[in-house]
Amino acid sequence: MVEPLIEAAMPAARTSGRWLPWLVARVGGIVFVLWAVATVTFFAIRLIPGDPAEAILGGPGSQASAEALAHARTEYGLDKPLVVQYLVYIARLARGDLGQSYSLHKSVIDVIVENIGGTLLLALLSLALGSLIATTLSAWSMHSGRLAAGVGSVLEIVAAAVPHFWLAISLILVFSTTLGWLPPVSVPGAVGYVLPVVTLGVPLAGFLGQVMRDSMLDAMASPFVLAARARGESESGLFWRHVLRHAAIPAIGIAGWAFGSLISGAVIVETIFARAGLGRTLLSAVQLRDVPLVVGVVLVVALGYIVMTTLTDLADRLVDPRHRRGHA
Amino acid sequence: MKRLFPTLVGIASVAILVAGCSTAPATSTAPHSGGTLVYATGDAEPTCLDPHVGGNYPQALVATQYLESLVSKDAKGAIIPWLATKWKESTDGLSWDFTLRNNVKFTDGTTFDANAVVANIAHLQDPTTGSSTGYLALAKVSKVTAVDAHTARITLSSPDSALLDSLSQPWLDMESPKALKRSQDVNCESPVGTGPFIVKRWDRQQSITLVRNDNYNSPPADAAHTGPAYLKSIDWRFLPDSASRYAALQAGTVDVIDNAQPDAIVSAEKTKSLKHVDAPRPGASDRIELNSSIAPFNDKRVREAFIRSASVNAGIKTLFFGTAKRSYSALSSVEALGYSEPALFGYDQKQAAALLDEAGWTQTNAEGYRVKDGKVLELNFPVSTNQSIPAEQSLFEQLQASAKQAGFKVDLHPLDLASWYGALGKNDYNLVSAPYTKVGPDVLRILFDSDGTVPAPSGYFANHSQVKDPALDELLVKASESSSPTERAALYKNAQKIVLAGYYILPLYDQQNHYLLGSKVNGFRALPSVSTPELYDTWLSH
Repeated sequence: MVEPLIEAAMPAARTSGRWLPWLVARVGGIVFVLWAVATVTFFAIRLIPGDPAEAILGGPGSQASAEALAHARTEYGLDKPLVVQYLVYIARLARGDLGQSYSLHKSVIDVIVENIGGTLLLALLSLALGSLIATTLSAWSMHSGRLAAGVGSVLEIVAAAVPHFWLAISLILVFSTTLGWLPPVSVPGAVGYVLPVVTLGVPLAGFLGQVMRDSMLDAMASPFVLAARARGESESGLFWRHVLRHAAIPAIGIAGWAFGSLISGAVIVETIFARAGLGRTLLSAVQLRDVPLVVGVVLVVALGYIVMTTLTDLADRLVDPRHRRGHA
Repeated sequence: MKRLFPTLVGIASVAILVAGCSTAPATSTAPHSGGTLVYATGDAEPTCLDPHVGGNYPQALVATQYLESLVSKDAKGAIIPWLATKWKESTDGLSWDFTLRNNVKFTDGTTFDANAVVANIAHLQDPTTGSSTGYLALAKVSKVTAVDAHTARITLSSPDSALLDSLSQPWLDMESPKALKRSQDVNCESPVGTGPFIVKRWDRQQSITLVRNDNYNSPPADAAHTGPAYLKSIDWRFLPDSASRYAALQAGTVDVIDNAQPDAIVSAEKTKSLKHVDAPRPGASDRIELNSSIAPFNDKRVREAFIRSASVNAGIKTLFFGTAKRSYSALSSVEALGYSEPALFGYDQKQAAALLDEAGWTQTNAEGYRVKDGKVLELNFPVSTNQSIPAEQSLFEQLQASAKQAGFKVDLHPLDLASWYGALGKNDYNLVSAPYTKVGPDVLRILFDSDGTVPAPSGYFANHSQVKDPALDELLVKASESSSPTERAALYKNAQKIVLAGYYILPLYDQQNHYLLGSKVNGFRALPSVSTPELYDTWLSH
């Protein structure tokens, strides 16, 4: 898997001989995006009502005494002007220090490390399930005539339109309360992943399926398919070697977006199924006005988004031969 | 053969099922030891397991399992011994001597004695601890001394008839003085008490593991047994979503849930294997507070008009399915000194209209809202989505509709907790609903004394109705200093009459607190002090 990836990525850079500016621009872009994300998040969370000093002392409305609040404000530098707090914070961030969570009294890095695994695994499994359902559905509806295409299209629209919270509660009612097959809340082991992954994977499959089927139909009608047929390619070979590859390109293109949507879905799914993860951490951090934790989680998600976009760029080159030959 | 195998499996599994059903569930009533109880809480996860720090209800829920108070309350509301066996108030009411149990140890081996009481109250009063609930409750405590190893003397700046009520609250529980000397972060992770269970592990966002304290010997006077707890351990899980929490109880994944919602309670009551424990919280009733400091509610007639136009009973009936009982009092029904006056709160649109006419809101605009001097009769109602359950938020919408008939334009603003406090701090609200849990009628002083209208530096204030009535203040101060129970009861009754007759609040119901139990759970009760779950007497049948 690694070999072709490098092959796909490198030639363009090597032949043009301008890989250094390309790298600088890319890294510079990433740094800029992260800085912008940190700045917007910092001010957004500080400008909505709510006092971070109260987060330190057990949350809003904890009726903290004047002395306790004053103590917390000095200790965390909250008594300084907002701009000074921002500069101090950004300077610390630049050194790679995400700071201490106000509400958890732990380093933000530790909190993220503790929670990121569950969310990533959830997102990856959902992405896998979503792709599987989308591929199967579009392949089936393509091979089975107009009626199947219509049914497939309706299923996709319904799946894409279903809100996560509704799907989660419905799945719990059917598979836990009524049938008793699966646990309604997260339990250790693989069985605890089933309902959360289905909840996130099904709406995603709807989006992916719509994109994929459009381009499959597009591919079926294109000259290269006709040519392949003329060469004597079997129907299944045609599908797996040519059409699917063609259809995968736009699907991969939206994978970066899909990652973002999975993370926002994780906020809901992790709460309903009581799973530990970044989504649930983010939700409680926002409610408590825990600025360092909110910015920390948002930065990690932004970084994940950037990594996904970079990977999809590379994958695009891998699947689409036009990029490799420098036509694009 | 191919077909036979699945058939055999089928028959076998049916046989197993039948056998499982015919084995009668343990009907023996004798409690037995062992097992792990899974408790699923819908309250927020505490940020610190030491309830001295901050001091909110989620902390109280779990701390009840590993920490204990000097005194407790029995089901009738009387103060009973716990870590203190007896107590004596001096004749001037300025000093209290507490005699302590002499054979109790904290779970780190430290002895519980008078010095421990001194250390705990010092910890609560130390600003660096960041205590709010405990700190407020000890406002009148000026000094604590160890008279001897088993006698602690609390000296007060002025008499405090609420002292014993205050000391029964989990936010003032006793912790090991040795453990308190550790850093706050460590103490927050693993507070050490004298309770029936010990905090073993805390996996954030997941669960707290509590294990039995095998040396336990200090149950409150009204406990059902002595010696260590029956349960070997408790798996205390955080399940924020109410629908999945109830589904988990139905599926048997968890044994006890709290914060059960009306629909789940009704469903559970129809289910034979589930039990329902209704344990209203003490302190204030849940009520809508009318801000009397700004127009239009600075006019008592307009306050009464709003209350007369609010169809509360019909809303409670349809939205709570009989799980909540209408209140006509400022205090919770568990408060012995609570006073009700239903006649003041009758639903009467005609009377509301007459009152508004009288108050000068005589014109009506095209949308049907009352107008005076070109201003629409508009009410700003910030709603805390963290504190008001969905049924309550729907009730507010119904009240909005019924008040519209009288010509009130009620603007509901659902807000998260921090924004909600922000709105209150700016005094741009006319209606608000905030719970307040505290043991005893002294909560009236917090909610209605004019001192409570002055925001603390944090912006927080508790007198949301902004009642400023010197006569009421005087009654409340007198009551808090009175050492005669009959005089105290009379003073609090008069104080409540002023609050109710002044139309400062619209009482709704008790602060809802419902537990649902699975079929295996026996011997569960809510501790009468603040209605937190007491799992010491609880045992699991097989």
